[in-house]
Amino acid sequence: MRLSLFLISLAAFGQSTRFEPPRQADGHPDLQGIWRNSAIVAAFNIEGQEAFYNEPGGKSVIVDPPDGKLPYLPAALKQANDNHVHRERDPTGHCHTHGVPRLLVPPFPIEIVEDSHDVVLLSETEHSLRIIPLDGPPHLKNYRSWNGDSRGLWEGDTLVVDVNGFNGRTWLDQSGNIVDENEHVVERYTMTAPDTIIYEARVEDPTVYSLPWTLRIPLRRQPAGTELIEYDCVEGERSEIHYPGTPKK
Amino acid sequence: MRFIIRARQRNSRVLFASLFAAAIGHAADLRGVWMAENHADASLERAHVIVDPPDGKIPYRPEARAIQKQNFANRATADPETRCFQPGVPRAVYVASPFQIFQNDHGAYIVYQDVHAYRIIYLDRSKHNEGLGYAMGDSRGHWEGNALVADVTSFSDTTWLDAAGDYHSDQLHVTERYTRSNPDTLTYEATIEDPMVFTRPWKIRMPLRLQKGVQILEDECEEGENGRRHRIPLFKQTP
Repeated sequence: MRLSLFLISLAAFGQSTRFEPPRQADGHPDLQGIWRNSAIVAAFNIEGQEAFYNEPGGKSVIVDPPDGKLPYLPAALKQANDNHVHRERDPTGHCHTHGVPRLLVPPFPIEIVEDSHDVVLLSETEHSLRIIPLDGPPHLKNYRSWNGDSRGLWEGDTLVVDVNGFNGRTWLDQSGNIVDENEHVVERYTMTAPDTIIYEARVEDPTVYSLPWTLRIPLRRQPAGTELIEYDCVEGERSEIHYPGTPKK
Repeated sequence: MRFIIRARQRNSRVLFASLFAAAIGHAADLRGVWMAENHADASLERAHVIVDPPDGKIPYRPEARAIQKQNFANRATADPETRCFQPGVPRAVYVASPFQIFQNDHGAYIVYQDVHAYRIIYLDRSKHNEGLGYAMGDSRGHWEGNALVADVTSFSDTTWLDAAGDYHSDQLHVTERYTRSNPDTLTYEATIEDPMVFTRPWKIRMPLRLQKGVQILEDECEEGENGRRHRIPLFKQTP
């Protein structure tokens, strides 16, 4: 029994190392296409949750620490718990862009465009986007934004992206988990099968968490013919009458 | 000597662009950060970018000109751009902020700094999504020689064409042409049709300049307690 498990894992390991991704002209993996997070629970709660009302259940997508729980400092945990009972504060509910790693977790498609100089993530929801320069200058200084300042490079066949310059206003999911402006993320994008990218984000934020933590989600390639469509939502709206398309009185 | 070096750089850039084009089967490499260095966003008519009709005026139907004048009078609060709505097409091209073009086999992808709007111009001969009321329209493109030609339809009536109250209905149809006329210049043309608002199609043309060393920054808005919308500052003040 133990031996067969060992053999299965060995076979799986062998398979994952044998996978040869499609490549760009410059030899790097070609991650282009339309993708979507298939661990939908992460959009609702990255620590996992039971299904309730119209929300799906599922396991935590946090792979480190191994218990799947966010290693909050006490004051930050109190804030996250308070957010959980005031989910109307969710910035994406006011159409704000997602932040990182949340941009990758909604159950909406994301198109990846890539060349030798940049990788671009276009998210359908909130028309969030990130441009990841691969040969860019050092990070911007004193930059404070929702989606941060990204710098990418290839480590073998994995795209590694360093992101800082956050404004600390974003949430990590709909349940109220947070970061602040000291957030620093290192993302890893690895194509492990023709239709799968494993996305990992290591988040450190010493004023919110006692330890860095890592989440991992599979992005699934969407069927041929899938297109992004416009998602028109005006960020920071407080009154419905100002939304585009609201009937004029 | 200096001239020769510059000429060489230019040649190598052109060569690189044509190699890229050959590699992915495109007629031209339009990639880069671009910006219209003109005042078209303030007023298309005053910026002298209307090349047809020859008088440089937008050929409004009489009742539509009256609405434009009313828009102009109310522009401080009525201009959708001041409330951070997506800028629409063609206005996104000449708002006073840069945009970046990316390309692959499937499409041209235009990321505007303005309210982080983006457009995908699919090049796979697919059909328009009709009648969906997009602020940025539904774009389908093809190559005509070195020019990227985008057919844009399926608009909402919620965007303006400039800050002077020039407007359109949801019957707007825009045909754009992007031509890299030299390494640092993209010539932009748009033919604008809207039988509800204009008596005939009309056309704008302007150069877009390559912005070297420029990074597209985030542009996010919120509504203040006073009900006015404002851009959220991006850079922390240093002590």
